[in-house]
Amino acid sequence: MEEYKIEMKINGERLVATTQADESLLKFLRRNGFFEVKCGCEKGECGTCTVILQGKAVKSCITLALQANNKEVWTIRGMEKFELGRKLQESFVQYGAIQCGFCTPGMILVAKAYLDKNPIPDRKEIKREIAGNLCRCTGYKKIIDAIYAVAEENKKMN
Amino acid sequence: MEKEQYDFIGQPLEIKNIGKVTGKELYSSDINIPGQLYAVILRSPHAHAEIKKVDYSEAVKVGAVCIGPQDVPEIIYNERIVSIPEKTYRDRTVLPKEKVRHKGEALVACAAETEEKAWAALQKIKIEWGKQWKPLLTLEKALSDDAPPIYDWVYLGEEKLKVKNNIACERNIEVGDVEEGFREADIVIEKTFHTQRVYHMQFETKSAVCVPEADGGITVWTTSQGIHNVRILLGNIFNLPLSKINIKRITLGGSFGSSIQMNSITPICVALALKAKKPVKLVSSREDDFYDHAKYPLKTILKVGVKKDGTFTAAHCRVWVEIGGHNIQAYPYLGCVAGWFASLYKWKNIKYEGTAVYTNKVPTCAMQGYGNPQINFAVESMIDILAEELKMDPINLRLKNYVGKGDEFWGQGPTVRSIIRSCGVEEMLLEGAKLAQWEKRVPHYQKKEVIRKGMGVARGFHTSGTGGPNPGEVIDYSGATIKINEDGSVDVLTALMDLGGGTWDALAKIVAEVLKVPFEKIGIYNGIDTRSTVFDVNTHATRGVYCGGGAVKFVAEKVKEILLNYAATLFKDLPENLVLSCNKELGQAIIYPREIPENYKTIGEIAEYAHTTSWGTLAYTSTLRQKNCPPCFITHFVEVEVNTRTGEVKIPRVVIMGDSGTIINPNLWEGQIIGAFSRGLGFGLLEETDYHPEDGSLRCKGLVTDYKIPTTLEMPKIEDIIVRSAHTYEPTGPFGAKGIGEAALSSVGPAIANAIYNAIGIRFYELPITPEKILKSLQEKEENLRKRRGE
Ligand code: FES
Ligand code: FES
Repeated sequence: MEEYKIEMKINGERLVATTQADESLLKFLRRNGFFEVKCGCEKGECGTCTVILQGKAVKSCITLALQANNKEVWTIRGMEKFELGRKLQESFVQYGAIQCGFCTPGMILVAKAYLDKNPIPDRKEIKREIAGNLCRCTGYKKIIDAIYAVAEENKKMN
Repeated sequence: MEKEQYDFIGQPLEIKNIGKVTGKELYSSDINIPGQLYAVILRSPHAHAEIKKVDYSEAVKVGAVCIGPQDVPEIIYNERIVSIPEKTYRDRTVLPKEKVRHKGEALVACAAETEEKAWAALQKIKIEWGKQWKPLLTLEKALSDDAPPIYDWVYLGEEKLKVKNNIACERNIEVGDVEEGFREADIVIEKTFHTQRVYHMQFETKSAVCVPEADGGITVWTTSQGIHNVRILLGNIFNLPLSKINIKRITLGGSFGSSIQMNSITPICVALALKAKKPVKLVSSREDDFYDHAKYPLKTILKVGVKKDGTFTAAHCRVWVEIGGHNIQAYPYLGCVAGWFASLYKWKNIKYEGTAVYTNKVPTCAMQGYGNPQINFAVESMIDILAEELKMDPINLRLKNYVGKGDEFWGQGPTVRSIIRSCGVEEMLLEGAKLAQWEKRVPHYQKKEVIRKGMGVARGFHTSGTGGPNPGEVIDYSGATIKINEDGSVDVLTALMDLGGGTWDALAKIVAEVLKVPFEKIGIYNGIDTRSTVFDVNTHATRGVYCGGGAVKFVAEKVKEILLNYAATLFKDLPENLVLSCNKELGQAIIYPREIPENYKTIGEIAEYAHTTSWGTLAYTSTLRQKNCPPCFITHFVEVEVNTRTGEVKIPRVVIMGDSGTIINPNLWEGQIIGAFSRGLGFGLLEETDYHPEDGSLRCKGLVTDYKIPTTLEMPKIEDIIVRSAHTYEPTGPFGAKGIGEAALSSVGPAIANAIYNAIGIRFYELPITPEKILKSLQEKEENLRKRRGE
C-alpha cells in the first residue's frame, strides 16, 4: 500500500512520519511511541483512545492518521503544559476518580476539551458530555466530581 | 476495641495514580522489546467440531512463525491454581488437540514482524474439520440423554475421570435435617431463579509480551492478578525450572476476576516466543476478548421453610451452572455458592446440591463475587417474598435471621470457615433505612401512575480472603520483603496485585503506620517480579487488604524489631525503652529514648550509620497466612422509577452502606462501592452475552455498544449516590481492616428487583430485567386482571 508522509504537532512538538491511507490515528500514534493513547475497542465505542485534535476531543481509533495531517494533536502527556490540564490531573487524583486508569487519559482529555469551551458546567452537563467515554471501574461519580471541582474553581476565578 | 489514632491509615493519600493521570503508567500492551514479533490468533469458526488437520505451511512461507495444536505440550492443566491440586479439575491444553469446544476458541497463532503481516499469514492457514456437532448452548440440552459428549474424560488431581452427561463436577452438602425442618415450618415457598452470563468488559484486553532469554528462560509481562501462579503454570507446561521464568508485575487495565487464572493467550504467546526464539507481543482484540471469558451464570431452585414469627426452619438450594467449553474451577465455585448461601441467614437445616455442566460456549470464570451476586439474587428476592407472605417488614425479617457476630462464616465453601468477630449488619440496615426514608415506602397496589416509584433493599457480603483456622481447599498466603534503605526510605517488595482498588496504596499506608515512615517514602509501585518476591497467591476473594495487608504488617513489624534492636546499640539502651514515631515537620520517622524526645535520631541517620559502618541492611522477608476470613458486609437501598409505557427503569437514588472495619483508603473505598454499583446495575438491568442458537456465536459480535454496559447516563443523579460506612473494627485484620471489593456488588441485583416489585407489583426471577421483560409482564398482569374480572 502507498505510504504518505504526514506532519503534525503532537503535544506542541513537530512530528514527521509516514502512514498509509487506512491507518487510524490511534495506530499511528502508538506506532510512533505515544503509548499513553490507550486502545479499548478500536471501534469508536469506548473512548479510551480519545485525543484532542484541533481543540476537539476525538476518538483516535476512528480517525485516520491522514486526517491529522498538518494539525495539532494533544495526548494526556501534553496536559501538563496547560493550567487546566494540570488542574484536572490533580483533581482526578484528589477525588479518587481513577481505579485501573485505562479510561483516565480519555476522560481527562474529554473534560479538558469541554471545559475549554464551557468552563463552568453543572454536574448534569458534565454527566451528559462524558457519556461517550466508558469506564468499567469507577461508576463515574468520582470522575464527575473531579471535573466539577475544577469547574467550581473556574467559577470562583471568574 | 478502641480505635487508635493513626498517622496514615484512613488518610486520603494517593500516590499510585500519578502515573495514571500523566499517561506514564505502563500496561502489558505498552511493553515493547526491540525486534519483537506481533502475534494474532485464528479462532474456531465452529462451536463443537473435530480438528482433523491444521496446515500452516503457506503462512510460514510468507515469513510467519506459527503454532497449532500439534506444537503445544501435551500437559493438561487448569489455568486457575488457587485450589489445592487434589481438588483441581484439569481439562485443557495450550491449544485444543482433538476438537474445539466453543466458537472463538483459540486454535492457531501466527507471529510476524508487523500485525498486518501476521494477519495476512493467518489467512493462509488451512484447517480440515472432521465431525461437527450442533452446539449445546443450554443446561437442558447439554444434560439431555442424546447430547454429544463435550469431553470423554478429564482429570481431578492425578485421577482420570469419565465425564457423564456433560457434568463437569458436582457438590452436595447437608447440615441438619431439611425434611424435619420443612415439617416444622408454617410456610414453605419454592421458587426458581436465573442469573445470566455477563462479560467482564475490563478495559484492557488480555495481553502478553514474552522474551526468550539467553539462559533458555523467559521473561513475561501479562495481564494477571497473580504473577506467581502464572510462573508455576508456565514452568509446568513448558517444563522449565521456575528460576528461569520471570513474570513481571504490571498494572492491569481492569480484570474483575478474569485474570485470576492465567489468561489463555499467555501460554500461546510463550509458545510462539520459544518457537521463534524472538520476543513476541500478543494483544487481544475486543472481539477475541469477548470470546475468552464470561461470568458464571446460575440457575437456582430455592425452597425455604419459615415459622409464622419469621424464624427459618430449613432451606433446600439446588443450583446448576453451565460453564462453557472449559472448567476454570467450577468445583470451588459450587463450594463458594454453598458458602454464601449458608452464611446469609440462619436457615437451621440446609441441603445444597450443585451441578456444573459443560456447554459449547465461552468458558466462564469468576467475576466480582464468585457466585455471590448470583445466589444473593435468589436469596434476597426470596426474603422479600417471604416477608410479604408473613406480612413482615423485609428489614425486620432480615434482622431476625442474619448470620452475624459469633456465628460461623463460610468464607470459601464448606472447608474454609471462621467465626465472625465484627459485624455492622444491624447498624447498616437501620441507618440505611433512615437515610433512604424507608418508612415512606408505599405498597405497589397503591400506585397507578405511568411512572411508578419503588424502593427495595437487599444485603450481602463477601469474604475477606480464603483463610480459616485450618487451611482448606484453597491456597492462601502472601508475603513481602521490606527493607529500610540507606536514607531511611522504605522498599516494599510484594507480588500482590492492585486491580485498581488501591491495594498498593493501602499496603504502603500499613507499612508507613508500622514504621512511622512518611507514606511518600514507601516504594511499592514498580520494579517487581516473581524473581524479586516471595509467593503471593492472587488478588482475588477480596483478600488484598486483609491478607496482603496482614502479611506486610507482619513483615514490617519484624523490620521494626530489627530497627529498634540496632538503634538500642546506638543509644546504649534497651529496645523496649525506645520510642518510634513520625515527625511530620522533619518528614522523617524518629527514634528517641522514652521521655527524652530531644535526643532523637531519624531513621535516615540510623540507616545511614548501619550502612557506613557496614553493619548491613535493616530488612526482613517472610510470608503469612491469615487464619480467618471475616465477612465484609454491604446493604443496598435502591430507588427505582419504572416507566409502565416503555418498560424502562431509572435509578434516581441509591443509599449504600458498607462494613469494612477500619477503612484504609476512604476515597477509593467509596469508589469501589460506587463502581460495583454500576456493574451491578448492568447485571440487574442491561447486560447479557447472548448466543446465536444455531452456530453458537455471540450476538453482540464483540461490539461494546451492542453488549451495553452502563454509561454515565444510567447512573443515579450524582448527588444522590449516598455511601456510608458502618462503625466496626475487625480484630484479626491489619489495623482493624477487612475487605470490600466483591461485597460491594453482591446485593445490587436483588435490591433493584425488590424495588421494581415495590413499584409495579411484578416479581422478576431472571436477570437482567430488561424493558422488554417488564412490558411483557405488565401486559400479562393486565390480561390476568381482565380475565379475573370476567371481561
Ligand atoms: S478504542 Fe477508540 S473508542 Fe474504543
Ligand atoms: S478506571 Fe478502569 S475503566 Fe475507568
